[in-house]
Amino acid sequence: MPVNVGLGHVSNAFLIAALVIYSLAVVAFAGDFAYGRPRRAAMARGQQAQDRAAALATVGAPGQADQAPAVPDAPAVPEPADAPAADSMPELEVPALRAIREAGRWVLAAVALSLAGATAHAAAVVTRGLAVHRAPWGNMYEFVTALTCVAAVFFLVVLIRYRAWTLGVFVMGAVVLTLGLAETLIYTAAGELVPALQSYWLDIHVTAMTLATGIFFVAAVLGFVYLRVDRYTRRVAAGRAAPGNGIVRRLPGIEQLDRLTYRTIVFGFPVWTFGVIAGAIWADQAWGRYWGWDPVETWAFVTWVLYAAFLHARATAGWRGRRAHYIQLLGFASLIFNILVVQTFIAGLHSYAGVG
Amino acid sequence: MTDVRAPQTDPFDPAAEPGDSPRPGPASPAGGAFGLSGWLRWAWRQLTSMRIALVLLFLLALGSVPGSMLPQQGNNPSGVRQYYASHPALAPWLNHLGLFNVFGAPWFAAIYLLLFASLAGCVVPRTFRLAGSARTLPPRAPRHLARLPRSAEYVTTLPPAEAVETAARVLAGRGFRLRRADSAVPDSAGTEPADAGAWVSAEKGYLREAGNLLFHLALLGVLVSVALGGLFGYKADRLLVQGTTFADTASALDEFHPGRLVTAGDLGPFTITLNRFDASYIASGPQRGQPSAFDAQISYTEQRGGPARTGHLAVNRPLSVDGAKVYLIGHGYAPRFTVTDARGQVVYDAPTPFIAGPSGNFLSEGVVKVPDAQPDQLGFTGVFVPTAVDVGGTLESVFPAADNPVVSLIAYAGDLGTDSGVSQSVYQLDTSGMQRLTARPQVLQPGQSLKLPGGRGTITFTGYVPWVSLAITHDPGQLPALICGIAALGGLLLSFMIRRRRVFVRARAGENGTTVEVGGLARTDASGGFEAEFASLAAELRAACQQGRHPLPEGE
Amino acid sequence: MPSPVLKALPSRVPLSRARRRAVVLAAAVLVAALLAVALVAAFGGGSSGVTYLDSTDTAVLYASGHRPLAPEFSSTTLSGAPMRLSSYRGKVVVLNFWGSWCDPCRAEAPALAAVARHYQPAGVSFLGVDERDSQASAEAFVRNYGVTYPSVGDPSQVIALDFSAVVPLAGTPTTLVIDPSGHIAGAVFESATYSELSAILAKVTGKGG
Repeated sequence: MPVNVGLGHVSNAFLIAALVIYSLAVVAFAGDFAYGRPRRAAMARGQQAQDRAAALATVGAPGQADQAPAVPDAPAVPEPADAPAADSMPELEVPALRAIREAGRWVLAAVALSLAGATAHAAAVVTRGLAVHRAPWGNMYEFVTALTCVAAVFFLVVLIRYRAWTLGVFVMGAVVLTLGLAETLIYTAAGELVPALQSYWLDIHVTAMTLATGIFFVAAVLGFVYLRVDRYTRRVAAGRAAPGNGIVRRLPGIEQLDRLTYRTIVFGFPVWTFGVIAGAIWADQAWGRYWGWDPVETWAFVTWVLYAAFLHARATAGWRGRRAHYIQLLGFASLIFNILVVQTFIAGLHSYAGVG
Repeated sequence: MTDVRAPQTDPFDPAAEPGDSPRPGPASPAGGAFGLSGWLRWAWRQLTSMRIALVLLFLLALGSVPGSMLPQQGNNPSGVRQYYASHPALAPWLNHLGLFNVFGAPWFAAIYLLLFASLAGCVVPRTFRLAGSARTLPPRAPRHLARLPRSAEYVTTLPPAEAVETAARVLAGRGFRLRRADSAVPDSAGTEPADAGAWVSAEKGYLREAGNLLFHLALLGVLVSVALGGLFGYKADRLLVQGTTFADTASALDEFHPGRLVTAGDLGPFTITLNRFDASYIASGPQRGQPSAFDAQISYTEQRGGPARTGHLAVNRPLSVDGAKVYLIGHGYAPRFTVTDARGQVVYDAPTPFIAGPSGNFLSEGVVKVPDAQPDQLGFTGVFVPTAVDVGGTLESVFPAADNPVVSLIAYAGDLGTDSGVSQSVYQLDTSGMQRLTARPQVLQPGQSLKLPGGRGTITFTGYVPWVSLAITHDPGQLPALICGIAALGGLLLSFMIRRRRVFVRARAGENGTTVEVGGLARTDASGGFEAEFASLAAELRAACQQGRHPLPEGE
Repeated sequence: MPSPVLKALPSRVPLSRARRRAVVLAAAVLVAALLAVALVAAFGGGSSGVTYLDSTDTAVLYASGHRPLAPEFSSTTLSGAPMRLSSYRGKVVVLNFWGSWCDPCRAEAPALAAVARHYQPAGVSFLGVDERDSQASAEAFVRNYGVTYPSVGDPSQVIALDFSAVVPLAGTPTTLVIDPSGHIAGAVFESATYSELSAILAKVTGKGG
């Protein structure tokens, strides 16, 4: 079956549309950042409860518990009186739509634009796949397009679920930047049809890796935000910066950012693990061994180990917080290194089954 | 600052580390006469601490990096030789450090073995504890539920005991394990005064720890599986020309990489004959030249003298024979030559495997060595072009099928270097002791002959047959590794998705009715959501109380 | 300072002494097993590169009573005559696995020829097994080196397969010395030298070289 050039053009059009819409969404997020309704109080309330949780129980992964810091004997935060006399019930979660509306016009616009952009983005990926009659992540350009789509969709879920409006400008901004770079630097026209003899395990493996990379992309952006906020907080504590920086005030608190990043990686880590296993199954079918320390395999392993180290660091005294995020970013860097450098330049197994 | 010093007062987990037993053991080696067992215990505590696990994880990642940058002896022995040639001073030092065989080096093994010892030392005791605590009830409800991270309060008209019972039923319905105020189970806090008021404790999510332990134990299982394969498995390669048979014995294999405990006698005794190999390629369109099908028809016997079976080998579909797996890895062309020497004797008559080069479309290179030609040894370097087209004076192959096969040869005579005893590659000709006979490469069509100058003989290109390259592997750890990998994934998902949480309900009589306090605590909330769960649970508890007397289910 | 709330929540159930010992014992066993694996893995010899044998003794004598029975085979010689190994019963046979493409075989050929010249008059038989060769190349080799004894063709190496079940035959050249009862008395698992072969033959035949 030949490449459907028409659909290829449709895919490109969708992608350009997505890029434009995303850019507008980033502007809207930035507008909310600058002009939107102050929401610090609401965030603080939820944060105190979570800080108490953090104080009493170890948030964390397999392993030892940290020494629990002393529970602050502060008076209980007053819950809003919801029901008649003496009832004090935790608020049931406000439904998402209402929360978006209550967050202000900028957020409404930004979320709407992001959703529209993500739809166009997904349409671009799907039509590309239809055009080339195979999974649309067969070369670097397609891979980047697909992973940014995963990142955008994943982040939208996070955004709406956790009401993390102020993070939108960073993550969507990173998506726009990456997509833009891909379009300008590594664009390849629809082509490269699938060799007839490829095993379906290869498709499963690459799909899983694409998903995981998109999720880790979001975690990496959140990690950068965390590090900036953490740096600012430390400078304030050391008296080297004035408190009350507008940007930081509008961002979620350190603990919340940390938790969000952690949960993102918790989502992505099993997907990456599955991708590694699927890759081993494919390698065994194609080359007769399920693990041969091929450079690509080795770096996928290094990435896995680094994210595992992040999960362990979260449960180790002295390694939580900043250091853990360094580890997480190192893991993402190894992932990118694997894709950009190892797969392109360092010779590995010459695959017979139709890759080369 | 070590983890050991910190008293591990995790209020939640009875499965505390072996390091923090209630016995007041010495916490620091700086405390004077310590004794060997004390030192060993300190070392063990350090090894099984989270911090050391973290360090070992880093070292594992770091140690893998040179294994991906430098050529490795197992994957790429010719690359290692090239590295020696291009870095003659550096290479021996790297070899001393084991950097050309990183993943088999003792220091790498030390890292992952220490890591797994650390892991085992942590996980195995916790497994015992988990098994022991399978029936443990949740702890007594604390007095001040409002201090818990999540708390709620409501008023109901039901008397306290009934309110608590209603709550208990709701919680039981949601799958919580309960502990009621009247249960006679003593707890370690012992001296607590008798509780006034009714309460119930509920706990859920015990599977989380099981999932966590499953994950780590499964990783241990993967390591053992890999070790099994490394010890008892083997990998071998063989190039098989169509029409020939090979027996699975070490001398018949082109490459043989046995595991540490494998000897040549552990191979076989199967034989495989390549009866026919067909390859078809796409003839037109944008995918022209891409392979569309490969089919290797083979017959094989699993035992000597056993019945011959037929089968097919295909890409990505190995054949299981006698405990080993045979994979079709590659294929190529073996042009057939007949060489007569100066004395008119036929000194060579065989298909000669040529190896496809990087230029594509199976343009292949090879060598014919005729060491027993008289009076001088003869050698030929050749290029086989399956579908030959003359492009500006050079022959190029434009299609991978042999639609127009030609061979281009350069002839040499002299000393091949085969008689000195040092093995040479069969695909390379060392012409240093030889004289070139033909000024230009001679092109032969099938059936044509090249007459060598000086009456040295002739070489005839009589045709071609295909060859396949087979990989024969045996890995007893393969299936266990897969099972352990899937188990690890399952354990991971369990430990991330399940929250370990406790909910407490206390009711006391008050002026406006019974005040019911609900408190909740989540130990690990990796995927989030306890806040929402608690809120909806509290609402459900209140609703159940407000419905009035909770109807008793039948049979209670 | 832990708060009263924490104190109210009972924490660990300390292990009984017996349980603790069991835990330590299990952990020690596990660590010992891992260490054993490590030692074997680290010092068990190289698995990278091409390894034909894991034995470093390349010339071997088997004491009587410990000699493996040579597997029977029947094939045709290069000149087309049928040949069975059992027809050599009652004689000492030097069985040499070779190939014209095998460079160490070519290097040992003169030594073999010399041993043949010396021991054939003494009643020792010589038989070659030509591995993975074509008829033309094998005949050219025999002509070139003036090999005086017959060889059977073994292009599929099934004879080598059978022999590798009883001796660690892992490549060419390999030379086996079979005693009159049909058992393998000695072997050289590499290029044979005159001195090695004559030493083995002296032992097996009881006659000096």
